[in-house]
Amino acid sequence: MDGATPHKIEVRDLTKSFGSVEALKGASLYARPGEVTAIVGDNGAGKSTLIKCLAGYHAPDSGEVLMDGEPVRFASPLAARHAGIETVYQDLALADQLTVWQNIFLNRELTRGVPPFRTSRRAEMRRQAHELVSGLAVNVPGVTKTVKRLSGGQRQAVAIARAVMWSNQFVIMDEPTAALGLRETAQVEDLIRRIVDAGTTVLIISHNFEQVMRLSQQVWVMRGGRVVNGERTSDVTGVELVAQVTGASTFA
Amino acid sequence: MLGSAPAPALDRSVDQLAAPPTRLQRVLRTARLEETWTRATAPTALVVAMIVFSLISPNFATWHNVNAMLADAAIPVLLAMGMTFAVMLAGIDLSMAATLALASVVFGLGYQAGWGLPVSCLLAVGVGVVVGLANGFFVGRVRIPDMIVTLGTMGLVQGIGLVVSKGIPVPVADDTLRAIASQSAGPLRYNILIVLVIGVLLHVLLTHTAVGTHLLAVGDNMDASKAMGLRVPRIKLAGYVIGGALAGTAAIFLVLYVGSTQPATNTDYVMKAVAATVLGGTSLFGGRATVWGPMLGAILLTVVQTGLTMVGVEAFYEPAVVGIVVLAAATLMRGRK
Repeated sequence: MDGATPHKIEVRDLTKSFGSVEALKGASLYARPGEVTAIVGDNGAGKSTLIKCLAGYHAPDSGEVLMDGEPVRFASPLAARHAGIETVYQDLALADQLTVWQNIFLNRELTRGVPPFRTSRRAEMRRQAHELVSGLAVNVPGVTKTVKRLSGGQRQAVAIARAVMWSNQFVIMDEPTAALGLRETAQVEDLIRRIVDAGTTVLIISHNFEQVMRLSQQVWVMRGGRVVNGERTSDVTGVELVAQVTGASTFA
Repeated sequence: MLGSAPAPALDRSVDQLAAPPTRLQRVLRTARLEETWTRATAPTALVVAMIVFSLISPNFATWHNVNAMLADAAIPVLLAMGMTFAVMLAGIDLSMAATLALASVVFGLGYQAGWGLPVSCLLAVGVGVVVGLANGFFVGRVRIPDMIVTLGTMGLVQGIGLVVSKGIPVPVADDTLRAIASQSAGPLRYNILIVLVIGVLLHVLLTHTAVGTHLLAVGDNMDASKAMGLRVPRIKLAGYVIGGALAGTAAIFLVLYVGSTQPATNTDYVMKAVAATVLGGTSLFGGRATVWGPMLGAILLTVVQTGLTMVGVEAFYEPAVVGIVVLAAATLMRGRK
């Protein structure tokens, strides 16, 4: 650790196997509060497994996760959400046939009445969802539309907005712009910058090295289930990152 | 939290390059949407069927006949609504007709034992809940495909019904039941009124509670639901329990409809329930459903069935018609997902 404030999240020696496949062989990294921390690596390097362990989707076999310096362990995605970790998954983020507001409030519905006779506060959820998306850098057509009628950028904006709505502490993003065009990518990056300016810590997986250079302050390189290098982004170039990801060179 | 600053000017100018759509364009766009026409199928077909049969048969459009058709629709409507809760989870419940039979048998046992109508009704619904719990457990927790699970419980439940009853229907003569079947409150008979009330409650459950949203979310995208922390097995269990409970409720209406228990399983009920569900705009791939759609779908099937009989078509054609409806509806939906 460096400095007085603890890392927002720190991972120590995390391992995870699926049958005979060792997806994580002792990965360690950290994210400083209020920064964008990027993870880069080739397919199968263990990036997605790592963040799924952080998000409570997988339980790690061994190793430690610390949040604000305190050890944490999540039995389920819900436990991670309760602890203030929200995740924007690349492809499994939204229910297409539900409306934007239903997706934003999924499993966090506002209700009234006494259990088991609780009914949804639909108007209030719509109002809050509208307020949320109208503040985005990406134009979302309307919160009563079904998600399948949105463009890729609009969907990603909704997923990110939902994550930030429920946690202004720590948001994990798995390739948030992978399926987007240039303009939409720029808009989503704009959105990410805004939430970081508002104090949220972001951990992002990206295959786009230019994006990593543009967005992040810290970058970690994963290869073969391990974190092989970590640098301040300002100390590396995109070309050097590519070399590290492919294993063509290792930094001193 | 996010600031509410307006989008940068650059974005807005790009967005405005495309002129805003005119009213006609908007109407056309809505008409082309799959949601729109799948939702319109059952009501449109119902109106067309009413008009066609009224033109052919003068006795068709009388209030007496319409009321009789609505009363006939009580059981199909209940089963269609129950089936919808399995189909919205991207599943299916093939055991509903068997549950209907067993619940009617158990209802008869309770009634014969002198436990009275309310307890007998609770027994029937209870049978449905138990079958639903079994279905939901194997589909959600053990993760066996819905088709196999409900095929298995169909056989099991059918068998239990036959063993317990020895295959013999028991007559049930109850004044209250008879009144529900034959008397009216206002223009409508009690049985369809009770079904309508159940439908309203289910509609509220689906559209105005978190459970309803969760059922649709799990049916639409199980991984996304899991990632949002939804307990998928428990939600699937809820869907199948609702389906089972409705099959159990339908058994009460079956007993009051025919005046005795019905130990023999009539699988036509399952096919009709599936047909009504898809006619009502429910996506066979899960995630999209209403309660009123399948309700109208079941009424439509009853109207077509009655109409065909009144214009002199033999009842033997009915399963074929329903089968064609299922295949046609499934074909129209094939491109999805």
